[in-house]
Amino acid sequence: MTLRRRLAAWGAVLVFVGPFLAFLATFQYVPLFRMIRDSLFDFELLNPDQRSFVGFGNYLALLSDPDRRQSFLVTFGFAAGVVCTVIPVAFLIAVYLNGRLPARAIVRTVVFLPVVTSAVVIATMWTFLLDPSNGLIDNALAMIGLPKLAFLTSQSQALPSIVGMMLWQQTGFATVLFLAGLQGIPHDVEDAARIDGCSAVQRLWHVVIPLLSRTTVFVVVIMTVFSLQAFAPAYIMTSGGPNGTTNFIAYDIYQLAFSLQEPGLASAVSTVFMLIVLGISLLQMRLLRTRWSY
Amino acid sequence: MIRLSGFLAALLSVLALCAPAHAGERGPATADCPQGVLTLTLLKPQANPPTPAMISAWEASNKCTKIELNEVPFGQLADKISVLAASGNPPDILMFDGPNTQSYAASGILLPLDKYLPAGLKDDIDPATLAEHSYEGHVYSPGTQQTALALFYNADMLAPLGITPPRDLDHAWTWDQAMDAIKKCQKGEGDNVTVWGLAPSRFGSGNPGFVYRDLLFLRTYGDPKAPEDGSLYKTYWSLSRDGKTAQGWVNSPEAIEGAKFFSAMFNVEKITPKAGIPNAFQDRKACFTIDTSYFIGALVANDPGFKWGVTPLPYKRTPIVHTGSITLGVTAKSKFPDEAAKFVIEVSTGTIAADWNRTSRSLPVMKSIAADIPELKVYPLSIFEEELVRWGEPRPPSPHFAQYDKIASDALRDIAYGADPKTRIDAAARALQPILSR
Repeated sequence: MTLRRRLAAWGAVLVFVGPFLAFLATFQYVPLFRMIRDSLFDFELLNPDQRSFVGFGNYLALLSDPDRRQSFLVTFGFAAGVVCTVIPVAFLIAVYLNGRLPARAIVRTVVFLPVVTSAVVIATMWTFLLDPSNGLIDNALAMIGLPKLAFLTSQSQALPSIVGMMLWQQTGFATVLFLAGLQGIPHDVEDAARIDGCSAVQRLWHVVIPLLSRTTVFVVVIMTVFSLQAFAPAYIMTSGGPNGTTNFIAYDIYQLAFSLQEPGLASAVSTVFMLIVLGISLLQMRLLRTRWSY
Repeated sequence: MIRLSGFLAALLSVLALCAPAHAGERGPATADCPQGVLTLTLLKPQANPPTPAMISAWEASNKCTKIELNEVPFGQLADKISVLAASGNPPDILMFDGPNTQSYAASGILLPLDKYLPAGLKDDIDPATLAEHSYEGHVYSPGTQQTALALFYNADMLAPLGITPPRDLDHAWTWDQAMDAIKKCQKGEGDNVTVWGLAPSRFGSGNPGFVYRDLLFLRTYGDPKAPEDGSLYKTYWSLSRDGKTAQGWVNSPEAIEGAKFFSAMFNVEKITPKAGIPNAFQDRKACFTIDTSYFIGALVANDPGFKWGVTPLPYKRTPIVHTGSITLGVTAKSKFPDEAAKFVIEVSTGTIAADWNRTSRSLPVMKSIAADIPELKVYPLSIFEEELVRWGEPRPPSPHFAQYDKIASDALRDIAYGADPKTRIDAAARALQPILSR
């Protein structure tokens, strides 16, 4: 390739990719490095020029702070709850939608609808649904003679209630991913299993699920990351309560920075969180690595 | 993942970039305004003063100055001010929440207004308001309006029970007396309450814990006349007078007692719900509600269809109501501090403020304005005005009030939801102490 053609090729690359790289650097990497730098300082957002270098002081503070530890535990517990409920439910619905059963189109639409609804709208709607005085769910429980539940004001029920909401919201997306995976499985593999005498359940267990492992890895990683990013439920539904049981890390970071005026500590929490999430994603990809290819 | 981890920094950057508020500027000279028309920028919460009518009235007498408004929802005001402070290009004038005065003053966001205040004006300001809007001997805002809380009741529901709440401060109910009435008026129990004794809070997010209302349940267990090193004194103030110590003040034995009383309302007596019910009082779903003088305006504008009344806020050991409302101040970085201060003082103290206080049923900050509004001497507004003067105290003043507010609110909310009062208040004091000591 001549120098001129090489330059032209690089010029094209720059024109097409350059703007996006600039955006990426401006809105992702520069803030990321600023965040890491800020995590080494103690200052208030109201007066950012008056800052003192504290080294790893903010990191040591977060390790010894029970509220931060609780926030991490709550967030990872929430992510585990979401992943463990969404994956099987979404998989079963995808299997149903992949078959030749009636009302598939309607079910597909109904299941996917929450995915395209704003997280804020969903959180607000579920706040009304779970309201103990006028909420639809408590009134339904009362109608069938069951006691009303406190849902969002109970320390033991708030987190499961939000997991339930996320199950409703995220199942559609996971279902679509599983459905795409199911439709990509070669028919001849299933046909071979059928000829060998496998029942439907055996085909599902021994053929479909193993061949779907790539999709499963992807869904698990996506659902984990979505859950770890949860902010709207804490902000809108519970304010992180009761007693910190829904104080998700993203919300905690926001509160630390803006309400408690500790952006240095908030940046340290963000940095640690980034590293943990990175580690979890790598671990998930390694543990769930596919041993099958088709 | 990177997007997730960069959440904080990205949020800050985007908020700062999106911020429409900016400093004012002077336009070209005109025949009427040889120095050019000056545009001052003002950041204020939506649906709050100064209203367009107030601004137009001021502009009419200051033809060479225009006010450019930037509005945000009240819930985002403090965050917006934080971001603007960091941006270095704040608006000239801020309408901010009065209890945050010391935070903003200590951070150098606000300009002291002492040299702009007309002679005698300081003496005209309500003392609780003056304390709230001052820091280290300097005044940062004259104050536009004040609020106080009282207990509203549904007179039609109380009449058959033979309950007649007092109408003056000298005969105000104690909380024990009020609880008797509240319990008698409640209809149903457990899951089957049809009429709650006390309506849920409508302040903040509608959940319990809002410091303006619910910290009073603790502070009323204190006594400002008690020895200064005693726990009764500390309970009343809830935070050391220099705003730097929470241990032993917010979690004194009497404050814990108050927190237990507060908890019992939700978890033992169950006379008020844990979750919000919009318009519970107006819809006859509650006999009593704690609210400000603005609520009178709401009840007058939309007649709920029953007789209602107002009684002074009940107390335990010492009567107390919190003062505090949004107020105007000048930013320290304004390029036009003289003109901005002129606007702030004239809108806060003159006929514009008087008209606003009269029409909005807000309580005036200036004693001279209060004296000129006869409605303030007539029931039910008289209760609020008298409470403000006799019982009014600012929320605990501190350069870290915003942090105090957040931590105390969370603790009170958790106590309402069933957390152990002592454990939770102690945890709040522990969390607060390092912040206050900074």
